[in-house]
Amino acid sequence: MSPTIDRPPLIYLNNAATTWPKPPGVLAAITQSLALPVFGSGRTTGSQGEDYVALAREAIASLLAADPPEHVVFTSSATDSLNILIQGFLAGCDAGCHVLTTELDHNSVLRPLHELARQGRIRLTVLPFEDGAVSPDTVEAAITPDTRLMVTAHGSNVLGSVQEIARIGKILHDHDISFIVDGAQTAGHIPVDLWSLPVDAYVFTGHKGLFGIPGTGGFYVRDPETIAPTRYGGTGTDSFSLFQPRDMPERFESGTHNYPGLAALAAGAEYIAGIGVETIAEKAERQTAFIIGELKEEPNVTVYNESPSLPIVSFNIRGMENDDVGFILARAYGIVARTGLHCAPLAHRAIDGGRGSVRLSLSWFTTDEECRVAARAIREIAQHADPSVGSP
Amino acid sequence: MKEFLLDAPVTAGFFAYLENFGEVEALRNVGEGFYKFEKTDWFSIKGMNGDTTVEVRFKKEAMDLTADFVYLLFSSYREGAADLSLLKQREQAIEKRVKERLYGP
Repeated sequence: MSPTIDRPPLIYLNNAATTWPKPPGVLAAITQSLALPVFGSGRTTGSQGEDYVALAREAIASLLAADPPEHVVFTSSATDSLNILIQGFLAGCDAGCHVLTTELDHNSVLRPLHELARQGRIRLTVLPFEDGAVSPDTVEAAITPDTRLMVTAHGSNVLGSVQEIARIGKILHDHDISFIVDGAQTAGHIPVDLWSLPVDAYVFTGHKGLFGIPGTGGFYVRDPETIAPTRYGGTGTDSFSLFQPRDMPERFESGTHNYPGLAALAAGAEYIAGIGVETIAEKAERQTAFIIGELKEEPNVTVYNESPSLPIVSFNIRGMENDDVGFILARAYGIVARTGLHCAPLAHRAIDGGRGSVRLSLSWFTTDEECRVAARAIREIAQHADPSVGSP
Repeated sequence: MKEFLLDAPVTAGFFAYLENFGEVEALRNVGEGFYKFEKTDWFSIKGMNGDTTVEVRFKKEAMDLTADFVYLLFSSYREGAADLSLLKQREQAIEKRVKERLYGP
């Protein structure tokens, strides 16, 4: 079902980092956005071009069931979004304010929070996980009277597991605790219904499952009044005021937008909507299960999550450094994977002692044949590894 | 990490030569053969037999002391008539400085 796209002879399985290839419509949208002067309301008198910012906002809001669309805010990345939200939710937080996160989280969550903890502005609890997820009971048990915020990944970029966001969010809201969810690995991969999910903010990035390009991202915020803006500047609106507008999305969006990036994001989101996220998720589940089934045939291979909900397979080969496996996959088989810690050091400390893993991550454009070739290549490498050397 | 582009394909023989200076691991039946040379505290070299590129990873704390030796290994092998005793003397001199740098005098 996947379209044929001209591409060099390589098998790209690093889509959890950045998806490739992009849908043809995304490339066309970028070209088109640069072919004419940009049209941005309040920033130009021209009216001949598309309003890419509005298009992208509507497309993302529709895809994620985010209402109203004005509460979708564009930033330069998921990391940028998380920094804005964490700082914004915790503005005015006195020393002793308690925050929860998890071992599954990415450094884009862990580092901002640990920096605040080092500054003495928060007290941080990092929750352990089991079977790829943090139990809602573990979350509830960690809540203290001064717990104000929880920040966690919706989907793990290492294990491909998805957190029980609905249950965790309900528990947090019962205790009047705000909830930021990092959807960098889930947006575009699995259905996300922000209308019904009990989250206060949901973060996305443009260049992964949404098929946009690097340099785009954003967040949805349910109640903007709960977050203090941390950036100030020109919005093209209410320009006589020397203070940041309170209206959305200007409250959080200052400076000139990334028009080509947002044109790409709008096209990517529309492409996904045209296929249907459920269809994308079903294909990914089938292909991921196939690869894991093949790898499990090799006694030397350790797969860290045998039933991921996202198209991510993390593994090691006994007797080999993960970096060497990645090197061989790339050089001998033309397969692009990712090795190491994947910016999630605590997850790796829990699953492999901090050694890191090889990660394969698929996209809608991954073909069944590519999955077969990749699985066969890994099995070949595993069959020639020396299991007496090192351990996974 | 640095990628070195060579003017000729790297061979299994080159890695055999490197065994004079450190440990070599090989998976000879994977692709055309995978080789990894490790010189603890200095650098590692990875390559596939027949490729014209190899990957070199330096220990950054000693890279200024050891980087030239990588070039020496490549050039001495290519010239084919390497004077191993001279290279070993050079290696020992650098080794002394690396150890002092990393572990103290």
